[in-house]
Amino acid sequence: MPPTTTKALRRRTLRQILGGVRRRARRAVGAVRRAWRRSLQLQVVTSTLVISVTVVVVLGVFLSDQINKSVIASSQASAASEAFADRVQIAAALSQEPDDQAKPADPGKSAPADPLDAVMNTITGSGENGSKKRYEVLVLNAAAPGASRASGKVSPRDVPPALRQGLQRQAKNARYDKPLRHQALIRFSGETQPRLTLVIGGLVPPDAGASYEVYHFFPLNDEEQMLSNVRLAIVVVGFGLVLLLAAIAYLVARQVVTPVRLARQAAERLAAGKLDERLKVRGEDDLARLATSFNEMAGNLALKIHQLEELSQVQRQFVSDVSHELRTPLTTVRMAADLLYDAREDFEPMAARSAELMQAQLERFESMLADLLEISRYDAGAATLDLDPVDVRDVVLRAIADSEALAERHSTRFELRLPNEPCMAEIDNRRVERILRNLLFNAIEHGEGRDVVVTVGADRDAVAVAVRDHGIGLKAGEETMVFDRFWRADPSRARTIGGTGLGLAISREDATLHGGWLQAWGQPGEGTQFRLTLPRTAGADLKGSPLSLVPPEIEMRRTWRGQMTPVLLPASGDGAGHEEV
Amino acid sequence: MRRSRRLAAALAVAVTAWAGSGCAVIPVGGPFPVDEAGGGDPMSKPFQRMIAVTPDPAWAPLQVVQGLQAAMAAYADDPGVLSTYLTPATAKTWKPDGPVTVIANRPKYDYVGKSDGNQVVIRLVGTPVARIEADDTYMPYSAAVGDISVDFTLVKDEGGAYRVQSVERGAGLLLTMDDVARAYRPTKLYYLAGPPGPSRLFSERRLVVDRVWLRIKPAENFAQTIVRRLLEGPSKALHGAVGSVFPQGMSVRSVRSDDDRVVVDLHGPIAPDELYTDGLKAQLKWTLNNNDMANGRTIEVQLDGEPFYSSDPLVIRADDMREDWLGSNVSPAYYVSRGSVRSLGDDRAGNAVQGPAGQPNDLYRDLSMSDGGAMIAALGTDVAGGGIWVTRVAPDGRWQRWIQGDRNDLTAPSWHRDGTLWTYDKANGAVLRCDPASGRGPERVAAPGLDGLAVTKLRISRDGVRVAVTVGKNEVRVGAITGGGGTPMLGNFQTLITVSDEEIEDIAWRDGERLLVLVRGKNAQSVREIYVGDGQSTELPATNKRLQLISALGQRLLAATEHGKEILEFNQDKQGWVSKVSGDADNPIFSLG
Repeated sequence: MPPTTTKALRRRTLRQILGGVRRRARRAVGAVRRAWRRSLQLQVVTSTLVISVTVVVVLGVFLSDQINKSVIASSQASAASEAFADRVQIAAALSQEPDDQAKPADPGKSAPADPLDAVMNTITGSGENGSKKRYEVLVLNAAAPGASRASGKVSPRDVPPALRQGLQRQAKNARYDKPLRHQALIRFSGETQPRLTLVIGGLVPPDAGASYEVYHFFPLNDEEQMLSNVRLAIVVVGFGLVLLLAAIAYLVARQVVTPVRLARQAAERLAAGKLDERLKVRGEDDLARLATSFNEMAGNLALKIHQLEELSQVQRQFVSDVSHELRTPLTTVRMAADLLYDAREDFEPMAARSAELMQAQLERFESMLADLLEISRYDAGAATLDLDPVDVRDVVLRAIADSEALAERHSTRFELRLPNEPCMAEIDNRRVERILRNLLFNAIEHGEGRDVVVTVGADRDAVAVAVRDHGIGLKAGEETMVFDRFWRADPSRARTIGGTGLGLAISREDATLHGGWLQAWGQPGEGTQFRLTLPRTAGADLKGSPLSLVPPEIEMRRTWRGQMTPVLLPASGDGAGHEEV
Repeated sequence: MRRSRRLAAALAVAVTAWAGSGCAVIPVGGPFPVDEAGGGDPMSKPFQRMIAVTPDPAWAPLQVVQGLQAAMAAYADDPGVLSTYLTPATAKTWKPDGPVTVIANRPKYDYVGKSDGNQVVIRLVGTPVARIEADDTYMPYSAAVGDISVDFTLVKDEGGAYRVQSVERGAGLLLTMDDVARAYRPTKLYYLAGPPGPSRLFSERRLVVDRVWLRIKPAENFAQTIVRRLLEGPSKALHGAVGSVFPQGMSVRSVRSDDDRVVVDLHGPIAPDELYTDGLKAQLKWTLNNNDMANGRTIEVQLDGEPFYSSDPLVIRADDMREDWLGSNVSPAYYVSRGSVRSLGDDRAGNAVQGPAGQPNDLYRDLSMSDGGAMIAALGTDVAGGGIWVTRVAPDGRWQRWIQGDRNDLTAPSWHRDGTLWTYDKANGAVLRCDPASGRGPERVAAPGLDGLAVTKLRISRDGVRVAVTVGKNEVRVGAITGGGGTPMLGNFQTLITVSDEEIEDIAWRDGERLLVLVRGKNAQSVREIYVGDGQSTELPATNKRLQLISALGQRLLAATEHGKEILEFNQDKQGWVSKVSGDADNPIFSLG
């Protein structure tokens, strides 16, 4: 394989991986957002967490700061007082007359001849029976030979330069009462790590000559250790507190949310038609009262629905009875009218015209009555299917043949787009033909003489027939209303082909009876398209349609305009909610 | 319902408990067991040190010399400053080698000639106190030595400041006693008795103290300094006379305090499996404990930071090594009454010992008792025909002459703890040693340090390592028995004390490191207790009775008076002499020493 191709492949792979990652991340974010939006409990716990973290952080910082301040302040104060006491001792010792009488004796046992040595022994505990002090001392007098001392390992190099300069400035101004403090990380000789040390520098006024600089080095290790322990404790306790609060919030929210969730589920079941759904009532609290109210509401609702159902039943029965009762007199009237119509040539023109009119209206009345009877059969649930495996193309051709006469009257032509292979499906031949006839009549009536396109499509699961006209089209929202009984787009328009206003409603019922969809698309000025989708096997669930609801040319125009998403038109009834492709 | 009520009760109890304990800042109550914190960090003792400052250009020559002396005191801690006092040429050549000379505090500085000009000479005059040798031995100067003077020649440099061009006396450092007190600590090192060599180490379960003066190093703890010095081996005075389990090339990585134990981390060519472990334990235990470093805590020895034996640590517990490696300081006392050796009870005269030594006679004097009191040796009087006589303390004992010689030619016999008897033959100028185990007669022991000296007394110390001799009537020297392999010799002799206008009457070992010297002046007598390691001396309160002989063991010190024929004991509490036996009592004896 040439390298460029490999590279391209690899690049594509990388892009794909990135895309996959992005997609996954987006999906995860979406899932989280969905979970957040849907769960009251999650919202409560998250809010509690955020608020408690904020509170704990603020409190922790405040506490830590306060403890820091008090510990450091107290150690500084005690260090300052110890340093002061030592300076007083040094000053007192240095102001004494040196003891010239000191005789040489055993070293280590006699008192030192130099008062500075004696006082340093006392201060540092390096004399006999002395105990180790927690701090080190440096006495510095650079102007006199042999007048500088240090305890332990401190040396003049360890004094922070700023502190030394400050003291020297004070010495120049002869100010001896303002000791200076400096905290620094000092690395003493022989040590690998620097230590946090509080250095207090003070001056001891001289009797003559230069002053003594006295530096005290207080280690702050213990304080630092203690403060870090305290900080750790605060962090641990804070963390525990946040977790505890989250747990409490979770429990409390659960107590409230669980009944609410039960109520929601009950409401959903109620909405799904299970009218005997009720909530359990426990206790007397607000949630119990909610449950009681819900139950009352459900009871009342069920009662009302029952009443309405009864009423509706009565009405349907009334329509059915009326239709039946009208048939007998209508038959008689029809027979009489037929006689009159047949003999119309013998009548005067006026009477002949009346006979014709009566004949036409009687035909319409009859078909309306037939439709009414048909629809009342649906309402009564008495409609049944008479299934046969049929090639849908034949059905379409038959329906077109039936509509030819009307089409000619409207000077409308049919454009047929049929697949070459047979489109077999288990359908009730009569009903499907009626649907198609209805659709074709509709298209002719509203097609304003333009071509009507009839398309048949099929895939593995379903067959579809789309009937497209180029008439005035439908306004937004009318796609579902067209299937309502006796609905008319423009009430002022006359019914030229004698439609009863029930045709599309019956067609819809027929399609539904097959487990199929009947859907409409329309746009003002663009015409209308009706699509009938039927499963190949009766009763099988439809997953999609072989044909697009939106006509292909419209779709293409939209794509050109950069609008990728086709308008989805939900069909009313059971067709709603299906995703359309 | 019941559950919630129980929950509420538990909550109430918890709240009450919290409120009860939480309201008090420091809760009261107890007793609770306390965790021992482990005594802090005694690995280093507090100390102060001289900080040397660079010379100020405005200083007078006298101040420059004083500053130089201060810089000498700080030289070991901060060697850089000293050279700033010297002219560049001198700084290049000057090296502070050799012993440190210790002088008394406040030496006198005087101008020799003019006090300004391009060249100034300043003379330092001070009383010499001691010398600290390179092997850390502290050698006190005798009081007889006069003041020392050192001339410092200073010249002006280009900037007009004085710098030291030469120091007349040489290169050694000059420290005052205060400088030494600040920077040095007397330290006891413990070595194993007997000449070095693995064959001897196992038999001699005994320690010998070597007293040295160690300089405190600011950057390391003092315990580490001590152990490092211990590993270097004994000082000159004990060289060849004592051994150490630590081979050459050992070093100490650290000595640290770890909770309740002291951890000594060693490095070097030591073979743990072939090691004389008891010796190592003893050396480290006594060295660290007797310098207030371990203070009875457990000591763990590590090798390169790992357990001493690859899997097990070497631990020296406080209750380990109970046997007395320093020798017993409790032993019955005896005295001689009309030639009969009698025990000396706490408050009364006791019975005569068994055998011929308990019989009254006038044949023997200057008696000496062997380790454990089984044998008694004495110098025969003229009646007995001189020589050194020995008898067992038993009913069937018999006086036998072990060494021939004139009474006046032999010094009083001294027992070694290995059972040999030692004396000095003045006529032949030889040290004689009699080993009954060998069955041979007296043998001469080489003692090159005593050649040509008038040795009047010879005493072997109780640890069997040191030898004290009096030379004439004015000097005490201390040496050691060196040389292994069955041919001992005496060496390493150094003067311990020299007296002028006084006479040394008697010497007696108190223990391994302290020698008592009875000195008689013109008008008074004194008993001086001297540490043989560094010559530190304490004078015990005197008595108006004239003392002739002394004998000591541990805390007990007995003396025989000259005229009253009385045994006195020194009472430590009252710091005075108390009569123990009066009337015909002479020659107090403790075994050995």
